[in-house]
Parts: sequence; structure tokens; C-alpha cells
Amino acid sequence: MTEQVEGLIRKEYAAGFHTSIESDTLKPGLDEEVIRFISAKKEEPEWMLEWRLKAFRAWQEMEEPTWAHVHYPNIDFQALSYYSAPKSMADKPKSLDEVDPELLEMYAKLGIPLHEQEALAGVAVDAVIDSVSVVTTYRAKLEEAGVIFCPISEAVHRFPELVKKYLGTVVPQKDNFYAALNSAVFSDGSFVYIPKGTRCPMELSTYFRINEMNTGQFERTLIIADEGSYVSYLEGCTAPMRDENQLHAAVVELVALDDAQIKYSTVQNWYPGDKEGKGGIYNFVTKRGICHRNARISWTQVETGSAVTWKYPSCILKGDNSVGEFYSVALTNNFQQADTGTKMIHIGKNTRSTIVAKGISAGRSQSAYRGLVRINAGAEGARNYTQCDSLLIGDRCGAHTFPYIESKNSTAQIEHEATTSKVSDDQLFLCQQRGLDAEKAVSMIVNGFCREVFKELPMEFAVEAGKLLEVSLEGSVG
Amino acid sequence: MTDFQTTDFQQRALTLAGQQQSPAWLAALRFEGSEQWLNADWPGRRTELWKYTPLQALQKSTSAGWSSALPQGAGSAALLTIDAIRLVFVNGVFDAKASTANHDSVVRFSNANDAQRSLIEKHLGRIVDTKRHLFASLSNAWVQDGVLVHVPRNVVLEKPVYVVHVSTPEAEPVIANQRLLIVLEDNSQAELIEHFASDARTQNSFVNALTEVSIAANSSLQHYRINLEQEAQIHIGGVHIDLQRDSRYSGFTIAEGSALKRIDYQINHRGNGAYASLNGVYLPRNNQLVDYHTNVEHWAPHCTTSEIFRGIIGDSARAVFNGRILIHPDAQKTLAELSNRNLLTSDKAEVDTKPELEIYADDVKCAHGATVSQLDQTAMYYLQSRGVSKTQARTMLSFGFINELLQDLPQPAVRDYLQHHLTVLFGMDTGTGLS
Repeated sequence: MTEQVEGLIRKEYAAGFHTSIESDTLKPGLDEEVIRFISAKKEEPEWMLEWRLKAFRAWQEMEEPTWAHVHYPNIDFQALSYYSAPKSMADKPKSLDEVDPELLEMYAKLGIPLHEQEALAGVAVDAVIDSVSVVTTYRAKLEEAGVIFCPISEAVHRFPELVKKYLGTVVPQKDNFYAALNSAVFSDGSFVYIPKGTRCPMELSTYFRINEMNTGQFERTLIIADEGSYVSYLEGCTAPMRDENQLHAAVVELVALDDAQIKYSTVQNWYPGDKEGKGGIYNFVTKRGICHRNARISWTQVETGSAVTWKYPSCILKGDNSVGEFYSVALTNNFQQADTGTKMIHIGKNTRSTIVAKGISAGRSQSAYRGLVRINAGAEGARNYTQCDSLLIGDRCGAHTFPYIESKNSTAQIEHEATTSKVSDDQLFLCQQRGLDAEKAVSMIVNGFCREVFKELPMEFAVEAGKLLEVSLEGSVG
Repeated sequence: MTDFQTTDFQQRALTLAGQQQSPAWLAALRFEGSEQWLNADWPGRRTELWKYTPLQALQKSTSAGWSSALPQGAGSAALLTIDAIRLVFVNGVFDAKASTANHDSVVRFSNANDAQRSLIEKHLGRIVDTKRHLFASLSNAWVQDGVLVHVPRNVVLEKPVYVVHVSTPEAEPVIANQRLLIVLEDNSQAELIEHFASDARTQNSFVNALTEVSIAANSSLQHYRINLEQEAQIHIGGVHIDLQRDSRYSGFTIAEGSALKRIDYQINHRGNGAYASLNGVYLPRNNQLVDYHTNVEHWAPHCTTSEIFRGIIGDSARAVFNGRILIHPDAQKTLAELSNRNLLTSDKAEVDTKPELEIYADDVKCAHGATVSQLDQTAMYYLQSRGVSKTQARTMLSFGFINELLQDLPQPAVRDYLQHHLTVLFGMDTGTGLS
């Protein structure tokens, strides 16, 4: 099985992704020494190392989950390397000419400006492009507002009290197999703290951390919105991401204190594998937020990438009157598999949650919505509305819905609706009769199908997301 | 008497099988069932199909063994008033006195002639997927007697078949294995009523009931399954249906809760254009549990499924519902709909519902919906503003919630019986529980 995975990886690289082994890369395998090594490399304080080791020991006791509706060859966790130093300029492609032409074609279709293309493709760029100066201006603005936005490895040194207080409180080390693994070996990620009563002056985006990218496969994000604050955070981008690691296990923790509001938007477009289903990223993500009194967390995601996606952004509605929202579009094509959804745990009184999940399956892909709505006995007046719609394109794909609804309070009101259908022939006919070709017609219909979710995305994202769907669906019609 | 707490239930169940006297021609099936039963993993909290339904009540039950008494009729259990081909089983033993005379189309396995026997051998244990249904393998292991309803080609059965399983008190709690096989040949039609009832004084007995139905092309079956036993009883039941081309199955099921009540419906659309509808009602109260698992699989194109389940859960009771619709590749042009609505009438009541869609064909229209809520406050207000008392208003609305499914039942005897039963149930319960 390991050979299979490696085989997949190798073939993948042959398609144009670089895999030069670097001298500073750790040998494959995972034991306590590796964790000490990672921790030492990052010059972490003792408590951080202890925290990682605790997670690692828990991970060793755990079993890989198999309940998701996805199939992939077994992963040999001892065959993976858990640390690689940031790439030196010399190893990166010198110019766009050295980059996979298919990737460039994709960029062109998405209308990405040239210098951004270079950044995304990992071209070695010196401080030429505008974005660097853009980044510095933004940083100044954030500092003025008192917002902390930095890599989590930096936060461990600069704000140890905050990190200690909140890290692992929403997703504990032992939460699940991949979260435990992440806790043990996480490479880097974002740390955000919004002070009391502050409205973050701009949308925070990983993009602005571009010069500190290469956070690797085990990303860890922690966002804390203090009382009465507001932040909108964008993760990922519509352009296909270049990455050498096949396994991704990220953890995102959101803490919304009283009256705070966090809006977290994701566009995930990791390499999905080729048309025959070879290669592609395995994306096993744990995302969860906790809402205190009157707080609100809203997850919006557009998932089009990865060969296998396993992701359930969740909300724990602990405080009274708190609100959780989940808006998702998951598109799978070719041999992609996605098992995604959300969990809404209602604990506080008058808590509300809304779930809108749209799944689109094309080719031979399988997409599943898996959700949990739990109303605890004390969650008086809780309210949930769930809508999951699936659209099928082609007769060899699958769309599945597995909603778990558990209610222990008689005053709670829960509604769940799900539908599955294909793009209707009538709609297609109408569009084609108006002069659109089949492909354009389908993409228009799909865009309409996803409207409810797209309108939750920040503006630029929404426009790009539409284009992204169009590109991802190419070749699936007719 | 052996205590289940100290003995492994699986092992104990096989010992019980050893005490039975069964005809030689059923030996192969019994053996197969025993093997599967013994080798199966015992379901726990991590078993998806039993996630919300613990089997401790069964393991802890003190049920001793098979009934040893002569059947004495239905006791205080109220039965339907209906002109039907009636078969009454008391604690799993056939009660000839309470049943109607022999009928050509309805025989017990022990009375089957050669042709019927080969029919039984062909279908019995073959419609149910014992790998997915653990207690079906137990039923196979325990099969000794049962009822075969065989409707030949082009025949419409003149009367409904009414099969009654009554539990009555004996010196020790008893176990009963109920088996039913329905075979409808081409262009035939039948009506079947299964009624599980018990005498008011019955202790915690265990009934394992399995019904297999084969409906051939252009045939139709109207099926009722009524589970209104005492709450101490443990009932695990399964109904497994194969539908061929253009055939039709209309099912209705109602259950009050008990210490442990689990009912599985499996419907397989195997021929083009088949139609299935299944409506159900569950009404657990006190500390009861009801668990309905339905699984509809579309193997052939142009089939239709319509499924509606409603439940009212009171006191500290718990209801579990799982409705899965699975569309296999090539089952194009499928129409499938499932709706599950729940009313929680107490803060200690719990419902765990999971409607599932698993779809591998694209040209289909499938939908499911689930709701959990309390009674509509505006409706309550409306009634109260018209001078109806709060208690009465609750009774009316609760009854109405269920009655929507009852009032369309084509069999008047069943409809009247259930409407009467519910009126009494809702009316008596003022202040607590359902009302």
C-alpha cells in the first residue's frame, strides 16, 4: 500500500511538480525525536514541546477513521517526512517558463495577473512585485488597530500567554486522529487576535502573508476575537495551489468571545489529481469554532480541489443567543472524493444555526454531505435550518447526504431538507436555444445553483469562485 | 433459568436453538443462520446501524426460553374486528382455536405440501440480507415454523390475511421467533395485516419477528404492521421486500415504544417501474425506545418511492429514525421522497433522526426532509383564542399530526381500530406525555 502511495506521488511529480530533496529535510518517519527536532528548529519554549508530545502520545493510541465515504490507499505515516526547511531561492523555478504549462493555462483562465501567477507558482521572486509593499502598508494599518496577525510560530514567542490560553481549547489534541497528528507536528499557520471592541479594518487573508508562505502540510490556525470584535478571514485562493505534500492535515480553531463575530471564508483548490484520478492532495482538515454569549461564527467554503477531502467546519454554540452558520459549495470532478459538512452543537439558550450545503458531482467523483445538528437538553429555543442540495452531472458520479439530527429539547426547532437531481434538460434546452453552448449553459446553471453560498463570500472571492467552478467543470459536459 | 447478564447472549441464543425441534428441510437454513449469528460482531455504540440503540435491555432481559404452555387465546389484548383469514400465535405457538380454518393460499410451514415447501426453500432467508441484519440471521437460526402466504398468478386474495402475535404471561418470560413469507406471483393482489399485541400482564418477553415479501410483476400488496405491545416487551422486527417490474407495495406501520423496539424495513426495487410507499407512526412515552430503520434500494430504473414517518415523543422516551434511500448506478429516472417529522412533548424526550441519500445515478429526483419541533404555537394560540383549553388543544393538534397518516388508510377495520386506540391514548394522558 505504501508503495502505491509513493507511486502516486512519484507519478504526480512527473507531471511537472518539483520534488528536489533538500539537505535540510528530515528522513521519513515519526517518533518523539522528530517532534523534538521540529520544536527545536522553531526554537519553541518547553511548554510548546510538551504540548506537542502530549498530542503525539495520544495520536499513537488512536486509529485512523474509516467512517467517511471516501476510498484511498492506506497512508503509511512512517513513510512521510515531517519537516522540510523553507525552499531556498535557488531551488525554485527561475521564471514562468519553467512552470507546468497546464497550470499557466489555468491561471490565464482565471484571469490572474502575471506577478501573482509567479508568486502562486512559487517562482523565486525578489522584492520586485507590488504586493510586498502592499503587505507592509497593510501591516501598519493592522498594528494601528491593535490587531495581531502573524505566523503562529512567531506568536508562540511574542504572545505566549494568548497561545497557551487558547491553543487546543476548541480542537483538543486528542480530538481526532488527524487533529492529534497536526498538534504533534504542525509546521506553521496563522495567529490572529482582535482586541476588545475592535472591528478589524480589513479582511485578513493568508495572501498577505505571502512572503511567509510555505506553511507546509500541517497548518495550524488560531483566531481569537475578543469581546465585541469583528474579523473576516480569507483562506486560500482560487488559483490552483502548488504543493509537494500529498497529505494535508490542518487544524483551524476559532474563539469568538461574548458579542464577537468571526467570518471565515475558504477557497480550497489544492491539486485534485489528473483526469485518471492519479495523484492529488489528501485534505483531512479539522475546523471548529466556539461561540460565547451573543457571538457569531460563519463558515463559508468553496471546495473544488484535492483528491480526497475530509472536512467538517463546526460551531459549538456554547453561549446564549449565539449563532453558527455554514455555507458550502463542494464541487468534485473526475475521480475526486469529498466528504464534507458541518457540526452544529447547540448548548446555550436561543442559539441559532443555518446550514446551506451545495454539492456538485461530475465525472466519476463522489461527494457527500455529512452533518450533525445536536440540541442539548439545556438549549432552550434553539433553532436550526439545514438545506443540502446536490447536483449530478454525468451518470457515473455519486452524491450522498448523511445528516445526523439529535434533539433533546422540546422547544427546539429543527428543519432539514435535502434534494438531489441533475441539471434539468428543460433548463439546458432553454439556455442552448438562447444561443449558449452546452458547457456555458451548465456553468451558468451551476452558478445559479450556488448563488446562495456565493453571496456569502467577500466580493472578489465570489467573482473568482464563479470562474473557478467553470474551469473545474471543464470537460464534464457532453 | 439462565440469566443473560452472565451468559453471552449470542451463545445463549444458540443453546435455545438447540432446544427446538424443527423439520429436517429447514436444517440448512438454520445452520447457516447459526453460523452467521455466532460469527457476527455484537453491535455497540460504534456500530453505525445500532449507534443510538443500545442492546443492553436484551442482554439483561431475563427471558428464559420457549413457551411451554398451551396457547390460551389472546387474553386481554384487543384485536381487530375484521373478516379475514386469521392466524393467531400465542407466545410463538400457533393457536388453532383462535384462528380461522385452513386456507389454500395461507399455510404454516409445518403443514406445507411439496410445492409449497419448495417455494419456501426458494425464498425463505433469501430476500433478507443477513449480513446487514444481524437479527435476521438469528431468525434463520431459530426458524421452526412460520406462515407462508402464496398468491398464485392472476389471483386476487378474497380476504385480508390477519396474522396476530400475542404475548401472554407465563410462569417465566418467553422468547418467540415469528416468521412470515409472502410470495405474490405475477398479476396477483393481497392484503396483509400483522398485529403484535400483548396481554396487559405480560412480563419482559422477547419477540424476534421477520417478514419476507416477494412481489412479482404487476402484483400488489397492501401491508399493515401494528406494534402495540406492553412496554416491558422487547421487539426486534424486520420487513424485507423485493419488488419486480411494475409491482406495488403500500405499507403502513405504527409502533408504541417499549424497553427496546427496533424495526427494520428493507425495500428493494428490482424491476422497472416498481412503486413503494411506506408510512409510519411512532409514539414512545415514559422510558420507552422506538427505533425505525428503513432502507430503500433502487436497483432498476423508473421506480418510485414515497416514505413518510411521523413521531410524537413524550416523557423521557427516545425515538430513533434512520431513513436511507440508495440509488444504484443505472437506476435512472428514479423518484424518491422521504419525510420525517417529530414532535417532542417533553424536555426529557429525545429524538435522533438521520435521513440518508446515497445516489449513484444522475437522472433522478430525490429529496428528504426532517423536522423536530414542538406543537405549532400559532395553532395553539388560535385554538385557545376560540375557547379550547390548552390541554384539549394539545390533544387535538397531536392527534391531527398523526391522523393525517391514519385517515387515508384503505382498510377501514385497521383505520377505525387505530383511531379509537389513539383517541383513548391521547385522551387519557392529560397533563403528561402525549397530550
